[in-house]
Amino acid sequence: MSLSAKRLWGVTLLGLLGILAVYFVAGPARFWLNWVLWFVFLLTLALGSMFMVALEHLVSSRWSVPIRRIPERLSTLLLPLVPVGMIALGAVPVLYPGARPEALANKLLAGKAFWLGLPFFSLRVALCFLAWLLALSVLVKGSLRQDESRDPQFNVRARRFAPLAMAFFGLGITAVAFDWISGLEPEWYSDIFGIYLFAGAFLSALSGTLLMVLHLQGRGRLPEVRRDHLYNLGGFIFAFTVFWAYIGFAQYMLMWYADLPEEVVWYQKRTQGGWLAVVILMGLLHFVIPFFALLTRDAKQAGRRLHWVAWSMLAAHMLDLYWLIFPVLMPNPVLSWPELSFALFFLGGAFLWVRRVRELGADLPVGDAFLKQGLEFRL
Amino acid sequence: MSKPPTFAVLGLFDSADALLHAIPKVREGKLGRLETYTPYPIHGLDEALQLRRSPLAGMVVVMAFLGAIVALAMQGWMSAVDYPVITGGKAPFSWQAFVPIMFELMVLFATFTAGLGMLFLLNRLPFFGHPVLSSRAIQGITRDRFALSVEAEGGSLDPEAATALLSAAGAKDIEVLSLPARAEILDAAFILRALGGIVVACVVAGGLMFAAIKLFPLLPPMSHMQEQAKLNPYKPSHFFKDGHGMQSPVPGTVARGYLPMGPRTPEEANGLVNPLPRTRENLERGREAYTNRCAVCHGPLGDGVPALTAAYNAKPANLVSDEFRKAPDGRYYWAIVMGKNAMPSHAADMPEEDRWASIHYVRVLQRAQNAKDSDLEETKP
Amino acid sequence: MSDQLTLPEVLREPALTMGTVTPGSLDDQVLAFPERRPPLKWFVAIACTSLIAAIGMGFIGYTVATGIGVWGNNSPVFWAFDIINFVFWVGIGHAGTLISAILFIFRKRWRNAIARFAEAMTIFAVMCAGLFPLIHVGRPWLAFWLFPYPNQRALWTNFRSPLLWDVFAVSTYFAVSAMFWYLGLVPDIASLRDRTTCKWRKPIYTVLAVGWRGAGSHWQHYEKAYLLLAGLATGLVLSVHSVVSFDFATSLVPGWHMTIFPPYFVVGAIFAGFAMVVMVLIVVRESMDLQNLITDYHLEVMNKVILGMSCLMGYAYLMEGFTAWYSQNEYLHHTFINIISGTYGWAGWLTIACNVVIPQLLWFKRCRTSYFWMILVAVGVTVGMWFERFVIIVISLHQDYLPSAWRIYKPTLVDFGILFGSLGLFFTLVLIFARVLPVIATTEVKGILPGAQPEHHGGDHE
Repeated sequence: MSLSAKRLWGVTLLGLLGILAVYFVAGPARFWLNWVLWFVFLLTLALGSMFMVALEHLVSSRWSVPIRRIPERLSTLLLPLVPVGMIALGAVPVLYPGARPEALANKLLAGKAFWLGLPFFSLRVALCFLAWLLALSVLVKGSLRQDESRDPQFNVRARRFAPLAMAFFGLGITAVAFDWISGLEPEWYSDIFGIYLFAGAFLSALSGTLLMVLHLQGRGRLPEVRRDHLYNLGGFIFAFTVFWAYIGFAQYMLMWYADLPEEVVWYQKRTQGGWLAVVILMGLLHFVIPFFALLTRDAKQAGRRLHWVAWSMLAAHMLDLYWLIFPVLMPNPVLSWPELSFALFFLGGAFLWVRRVRELGADLPVGDAFLKQGLEFRL
Repeated sequence: MSKPPTFAVLGLFDSADALLHAIPKVREGKLGRLETYTPYPIHGLDEALQLRRSPLAGMVVVMAFLGAIVALAMQGWMSAVDYPVITGGKAPFSWQAFVPIMFELMVLFATFTAGLGMLFLLNRLPFFGHPVLSSRAIQGITRDRFALSVEAEGGSLDPEAATALLSAAGAKDIEVLSLPARAEILDAAFILRALGGIVVACVVAGGLMFAAIKLFPLLPPMSHMQEQAKLNPYKPSHFFKDGHGMQSPVPGTVARGYLPMGPRTPEEANGLVNPLPRTRENLERGREAYTNRCAVCHGPLGDGVPALTAAYNAKPANLVSDEFRKAPDGRYYWAIVMGKNAMPSHAADMPEEDRWASIHYVRVLQRAQNAKDSDLEETKP
Repeated sequence: MSDQLTLPEVLREPALTMGTVTPGSLDDQVLAFPERRPPLKWFVAIACTSLIAAIGMGFIGYTVATGIGVWGNNSPVFWAFDIINFVFWVGIGHAGTLISAILFIFRKRWRNAIARFAEAMTIFAVMCAGLFPLIHVGRPWLAFWLFPYPNQRALWTNFRSPLLWDVFAVSTYFAVSAMFWYLGLVPDIASLRDRTTCKWRKPIYTVLAVGWRGAGSHWQHYEKAYLLLAGLATGLVLSVHSVVSFDFATSLVPGWHMTIFPPYFVVGAIFAGFAMVVMVLIVVRESMDLQNLITDYHLEVMNKVILGMSCLMGYAYLMEGFTAWYSQNEYLHHTFINIISGTYGWAGWLTIACNVVIPQLLWFKRCRTSYFWMILVAVGVTVGMWFERFVIIVISLHQDYLPSAWRIYKPTLVDFGILFGSLGLFFTLVLIFARVLPVIATTEVKGILPGAQPEHHGGDHE
């Protein structure tokens, strides 16, 4: 996949024109719905990548050192997401009932209206971004600096900081799940929701990392990364596909079992009309197909297989978020020029950014003392 | 007496490295099948021995799938086909509820396939007759030495050639293993004893099971539901002096429906007066009581012609005849409470008011069957 | 690894064994225990634990003969010590499976020295756990009714009940753990078989080792089976305690119907299990002089896992507390107020202190490597996790929707007797295991000793 910068800019600008048209023609609600969808998609990808980096430092894993630069690059998506997130706050008074004045009259929302309202919402978003950017600065900037300095102290610092980064990630992803997604229907609640979004985020980060590795290898870069490393990435995707399915099923089955009206209504909305087909498709794409596709040992290290599984996993994550967000306003799934415009804009923009950071630092973290061990890793 | 044929020649090495290096050298000799015996699995040994891929993974996947299907089918059939019951407001075929057991059974089937399939099918264990197990080398093999064995492949193995080959490859110790003399274990005596043993074991097991099933529920605390600390009329009781569970009622006990009435003879009963007023309500009650209790024998019209005459030898009284029209209310009352000839006492199933109400109704029937023209005159309400 | 010396100390890879350990010396050290007569202190220990277990069995006999009325269970707290103890023991079992299965999948070599013991603890913990559903039904001799067999009453079991999913899940867990444990033992028993000169032990070991001879073609299938079983057992770690959590989460009792229960229970299980493993391993290590095999590194890593799990438990408590408020549900709200300030509020605070606060001590390396602090934290976690189940079950049940049904729960002596009896049973089984079978998987450890594997296949496996 080699898209020239020019083409990407063209696509992005076309998308920009499209999304502006969406606001004025299709209406603000449709605009904000799409904006939030893409914001959350890219945010989970970036956060998942940050989680990957922090995890690697936390457990001092050696096999992953050669590929650590990739999620570090992907996590920098958090930077352009700051303005995207600030703009996304415009969605709050439009899409989020808890932030509207009517909430005070609603018995179930009045008690938490201050939490759901725009001021506190924005404060939370700001705090999250501050924390994430701090983590980025310590882990990613430090790693890039280590390329030159070759100072092993970075590993010590990163290892010590990793638990805090994990806390930032864990609380942050929960905030994203509750605020941006379940906040669309503030009367509903599920305390596993943060973990559900974590599963999707980690999977999309793993897929993004895999795709970037395979892309670079296709261009003759990263020759030192072997099938053994790919096997581990493939293995993680396999395992977390199962984990995602487990979390998703747990939430569904518990709500189905108790059959409480305040909980079930959320699922009813998402299985009515065309949405039932969407959720079945998502189950296939997010769990069934990757599970069987990556079942064998060989499959987990085969470049071609991993390539299409990773793409379909990213598509599945997008489908998951689409299924979580759109039924709030749309009784049936919609896929029309508004959605396509947003896709062009955000995909174009994301690819542009990724293309830029593809050259950030060396492909391998050359300053890391454990790089040699990581390269020698064999199954 | 000829020497027993050589089964294998074992060469012992002191390190995994030495073993791995020796294998290609020994294979060049083409003297027989190669096998290794090591205290722990060595990386790279599978390739060195040119072993085919283990089919275990495929077997496990298939059995796992089967386990999930069996669980779904079992639960589905039991809950939705054979005896469908709605519990907790959930439909009989609730796939959501079936998933946990499907998963567990999938894992169970897969586990037993992996474990037992590996042992029984692929490794053909348990097997206690292998010559290596009775060799000198086995102690080292399960401790810290690595053995390479050249095994006879269809036919015989030249022990000297194999020994030389292994020495050249670096083996520290060489041992020649011969095939053990195959004792004929499957002779008639053994088979008979085995069969006999199986029969005896079955009989004994059956007897024990029978005893257990019959005896076990009789033991406390299993018997606590049967042997409850309460009064049982059919069992002795320590509560009463005479030791009986069943006691006679206290003298003066009145059976249900048998509250003593004043009259003690039919003649005295004739003097009884119907205490119930002749209201519409009481007449309707009387009709209901008569229809339920009396009409079956005395007929719906009170003329002793019921639907059941053919079944009985007895002839129920014709209550609308002259004799009964002239009889006082008390006569009916006595018959209801004490019975008359073939008619049993209805005291137990007709309460006091029902008895008098039904007598009112009988009077209505009598008047209806013997109507006069003057009865057609309008009566004042 | 000469570059190791130039690294800061905290990044250096510790050795997994101390001193020179060869396969032969390993066998001599570890396999000697089943061959020797146990020392006096072992007999004293087992006498104590057996006594406690026997007393517990006595109480169980009393319960079965007389009825569940001898327990404190009553309306509305219909589940109490029985289910608390069940969940407690099943949870403790999960650490063993995680160590032996999940760490195997992640190829963490440090697991090899402790996996055997941990798996044995899993099996014993599941046995103790299974005791409670058996006796709490009141008529345990009819417990076979829980299985779907064709019967005269033409009835089938209720597959829509999580209690039945439990029956299948815990039975499967026991079967799989036993199979996994036994398969791992086979090569070790073969070693015992070939070492022993004792006339009556040799036939037993011979039969149990099923003729294992270490053939290369056999190892191939064996390793495949082991890997597959590890994968399957990994699935069980997640699923079994999730199914146990479904007992609560599928209900409508306030405080029970929380979607986070499945992963929360799994994390809690690993947490409690690791604490128990740490405690038992310290005793084993000291009393059997195995410090060169169960090194400080092993204990430190396990403490780090305990710390990690403690943080995850903190997240779970945070989520529960937040959701109690966010839901704006007065019943859920009332339950959470009860947890921190009701009659049993002391239990709520004890839980938080033992599970989230005290383990934070493990951030300090001194605490991770000192017996005193380790044991303090581990005991705290064990107590805290028992009380967590107490909090979940008793506090939610004693005051749910209808105030007229609110009652205080008081456990009886029998309840305590059975709890301590189960602890006695567990430790008795552990003590027996320690002297009858090899406590360290010698075969597995031999495979990771320096020089164990051929050179050209070298390189790290982490």
